[in-house]
Amino acid sequence: MKKMNKLIAFVLAGAISFASLAGCAGNGASSATASGSASGAASSRKSEASDTLTYAQGAEPRGLDPALVDDGESAKVTCNIYEGLLKYDKDSTKVEPCLAKTWDISDDGLTYTFHLQEGVKFQDGTDFNADAVVYNIDRQLPPKVTKDMSYASFVYSSVKSAEAVDENTVKITLNSPCTPLLKNLAMVFGAPVVSPKALKDNNNNVNQAPCGTGPYKFVRWDKGEDIVLIRNDNYWGDKAKCKNVVFKFIADNSARVVALNNGEADMIDGIDATVVSQIQSAGNKLYQAKGMNTNYMAYNASKAPFNDAKLRKAISQAVNVPELVTSLYQGYSEPATSVLPTFIGGYDKSITQTAYDADAAAAVLKAAGLTQVHMITYTNPRPYNTVNGQALAEAIQGYLSKVGVTCKIDSYDWTTYKSKVTEGDYDICFYGWNGDNGDPDNFMSLMSVDDPSQNVARYKNPEFNKLIAQGLSTPEGDARNAIYTQLEKIAAEDNVWLTISHAQNLCGYRPNIHDFYYHVTGDVPLAGVSKD
Amino acid sequence: MQMIKYMIKRILMLIPVLIGVSIIVFLIMRVFSPDPAPIVLGEHATQQSMQEWRLANGLNDPIWLQYVNYIKDAMTGNLGTSYYTKAPVTQEIFSRFPATIELAIAAIIFASLLGIFLGVVSAVKKNSIFDNGGRILALIGVSMPIFWLGILLIILFSGTLHWLPSTGRLNPLYQPTQITGFYLIDSLLTGNMNALVDALRHLVLPALALGMYSMAIITRMTRSSMLESMSQDYIRTARAKGITNRRVIRKHALRNALIPIVTVIGLQFGSLLGGAVLTETVFSWPGIGAYTVNCILKSDFPVVQGVVLLVAVVYVLVNLAVDIIYAFLDPRIKYAKKEG
Repeated sequence: MKKMNKLIAFVLAGAISFASLAGCAGNGASSATASGSASGAASSRKSEASDTLTYAQGAEPRGLDPALVDDGESAKVTCNIYEGLLKYDKDSTKVEPCLAKTWDISDDGLTYTFHLQEGVKFQDGTDFNADAVVYNIDRQLPPKVTKDMSYASFVYSSVKSAEAVDENTVKITLNSPCTPLLKNLAMVFGAPVVSPKALKDNNNNVNQAPCGTGPYKFVRWDKGEDIVLIRNDNYWGDKAKCKNVVFKFIADNSARVVALNNGEADMIDGIDATVVSQIQSAGNKLYQAKGMNTNYMAYNASKAPFNDAKLRKAISQAVNVPELVTSLYQGYSEPATSVLPTFIGGYDKSITQTAYDADAAAAVLKAAGLTQVHMITYTNPRPYNTVNGQALAEAIQGYLSKVGVTCKIDSYDWTTYKSKVTEGDYDICFYGWNGDNGDPDNFMSLMSVDDPSQNVARYKNPEFNKLIAQGLSTPEGDARNAIYTQLEKIAAEDNVWLTISHAQNLCGYRPNIHDFYYHVTGDVPLAGVSKD
Repeated sequence: MQMIKYMIKRILMLIPVLIGVSIIVFLIMRVFSPDPAPIVLGEHATQQSMQEWRLANGLNDPIWLQYVNYIKDAMTGNLGTSYYTKAPVTQEIFSRFPATIELAIAAIIFASLLGIFLGVVSAVKKNSIFDNGGRILALIGVSMPIFWLGILLIILFSGTLHWLPSTGRLNPLYQPTQITGFYLIDSLLTGNMNALVDALRHLVLPALALGMYSMAIITRMTRSSMLESMSQDYIRTARAKGITNRRVIRKHALRNALIPIVTVIGLQFGSLLGGAVLTETVFSWPGIGAYTVNCILKSDFPVVQGVVLLVAVVYVLVNLAVDIIYAFLDPRIKYAKKEG
C-alpha cells in the first residue's frame, strides 16, 4: 500500500507539473514555418544565411496593419510588405510614383485623380485596383474609421470621399485644399494599400496577417523574438535582392552591438555615441545621416512670466546652444538653427535663432526680477534627444544659474510627463517632434493648434495661424516655401521655442552588406540591400 | 484516495487565491498606472478622441463595475484584448509563455544539480578546501546581479570567444514545426537536430545567468540541511552497522535532508517564472517577463492582469507538486485527516 501511495504521489506530481506546463504550450501564435527543414545540410544552410538579411531593432513592433499602428518599429517592417500610391525618394521626402503612375490635381485643389499601375497583385494573389484603394481609404474615413486608427485623421484629414472612376483610376475629393496630401499618401502609416480580401478575412485587423503589394511578404512572427519575411517573387517592380529578411528584437543596446559584432545581426539601429567606437573597431560600418526631427525647449506662453516675449528672449539668450549640443550629443546631433530640419521645403539659410548673450540676458532678467522658473521634463531618451530630458534640463539649469535664475526641475517618465504637459503647470517644458510626412506644415503647425498636448508652448498668434492656413492650401513651390520661411522667422523673433538640435540617424552594419540606407522618415526599405 | 481528496481541496483553494490576486492587480493597475489612452492613440491623439476611447473601453465606469465585467469575461475564458496590439490576451501570453517555462526549467535543473552537488560536498567535507570553495561560489551567486552576470557572459562567450549566440532563442532559419511551443521538445518530436542543437546553444547562457542565484540558495540550504541530518543518531547507527560511507550519505543523510531542499527548489522555480525579467531583457529571450514589464509601462491593463493570473496559477500548482513530492520523500507525511 505504501509503495502504491508513493507511486500515485509520484505520478500525480509529474502530471501536475506537466499539465501546468503543457497547458501553456499549445496554441502557438505563429503559423506555418517556411524554412528550417529537418534535413538542412550545412552547405544549404550557408547559402541560406548569405541570402538572409538580419536587422536588429530595439523593440517589438506594435502590429503590422498600417492603419492600426503608429510606432517606428512597426514601420521598419511594414514598409517592406506594403506600398502606397506614392513613395518618398531615397534621400528626402520628395514624392515619387509608386502604385500610382501619374496623378492630376484640379485647379481648385479639391480633386486629385490617380492613375494606377496595371497588373499589380497583392501577395494573396488578388488584384490591386481602384476598388482596393477606395476600400482602404473608406476604412479610415467616417463612419467606418475607429478611434485606434492613429493616423487616419492625419493622413486623410482633408479627404471627403474616394471613388473608383474605372478599374485603374481613383478620384479623391477634398473638403478643402490640402497640399500635404501627396506627402501623406507616401507615408508608411495610414496610406499603404492593404489587400481588401485579407482585411475581410481578418476582421478588419491585419496586425498579425499583413498582406500588401510590396517586395517582401510575411512568413511568420515569433512573438517577442523576430518577424520573418520572404521575397515576393510576383512583385511588379524590381525584385528584392536577398531572399529572406529577419527583423530581430533586441532591447538592450549593448547586446544589440554584440549581436552585430558577433555576426548574429547584419544591421542594427537605435545606437548612440557611446557605442560608435565599439562598432567601428570590430570592422563594422556606421550609417550616419540627417534625421527628420527637432529637439526643443518650450516656454509656456499662456501665463506669466513667459507670456512676455522679452523674457522668453532673455532666457534664450542665456543658453549657448551650439556648445550645449556638442557636449551633450558628442557630434551626433546638429545644433538647430531652425524649427525645420534643413532638407525640408521652407528651410532657408537666412533663418537664425536668438544669439547667445549672457550679459544682455542677465540685465533683462534682473530688471524684470525673474529669479526662479519651474521646468518639467522627461527621464527617458527620445529619438530626437538621445541623452534624456533630464540631462538636457540640467544642462540648461547650469546656463540659467549663470544669469541669476534658479530652476526647479520636475522629471517624469514619458507617459506621465505627457499628461503633466497637458495639465499646463510649468514655465518651461522639454519636447521634440519626429516628422511624419516631410511637409513643413507638420512641424510649424505645432505652434498653431489648440490642443495643448501638441502646442506645448500654448502659443497663440492670429497672424501665425493665418499663414499656417495659407500654407496648407498653397500649391507646392517657391511661394509656399516662402510662407514657411516667414513662419520660421516669426517663431524665432517671438522665441516661442528654444530650438536645440536635430538628431542624426545612426545605424551599424556589417561590411558585407551593400546599399543599406535608413530613410529620413525612419523607414528601412531592404529590397535593394544585398549581402556577400 | 486520500491523496486525490487532498489535491482536489488544494486545487479548489486556487479560487480564493485567484480572486484575491485579481482584485489586487486590478486595483494597482488602475490606481497607479498612467492613463492608457494617450499611449494607445499616439502622438496625434486629441482630448476628445482619448475621451471617446476611454468610454468605448469601459474605463469611465466605476472600478467595481469594471472589475465585475472583467471577471464575467474571464470566467468564460476571455481575458480581453491587448489595448496596444489589439491581439487577444490569451494569444499574446501563450505565444510567449513556453519560452519562459523552457528557460526556467533549464535554469532550475542547472541550479538543482550543481546546488545539491556542491551542498553535499561542502557538508561532507566540512571546513575543507571544497567546503570553502563551494561557500565562496554560493556567496558569489547570491550577490552578483543577474543583469551584470548576463552581460559578462555575453561579452565572454559571444563577444570574445564567439562560442555561443548572445541573444534570442533560436536562429529563425532552423525553426521546427510548432507543436508544443517548447523548441527543445518540438525539435525532438520532429527530428530536427539542427534546431535542437541551435536551441540548446541559445539556452546555455541565459540558463546559467538565471540559475546562478537559485544555485547559490540551493547550495546553502543543502549544506545546512545535510549538516543537521549528518549529526543525527541514525547516521551513527548506520555507520555502526558497517554501511559504506557513500551509502550512508546518499540513502540516510541526503534523503532525510531533501525536504527543505525540495521546498526551496519549488519556491525558486516559482520565482524564476516571474523573476526572469532581467535575464529576458539582457538576452532578448522572447518570454513573458520582459514583455509584461513593457505592458506595465504601456498601461496595457488586460495583458498585465492576464499574466499575473497565469503566474499565480502556475505558482500554486508548483507548490502543490512540491507538497506531493514530500509524501514521496518521507513516508511519514500523509495528506489525510485521519490515519486508518
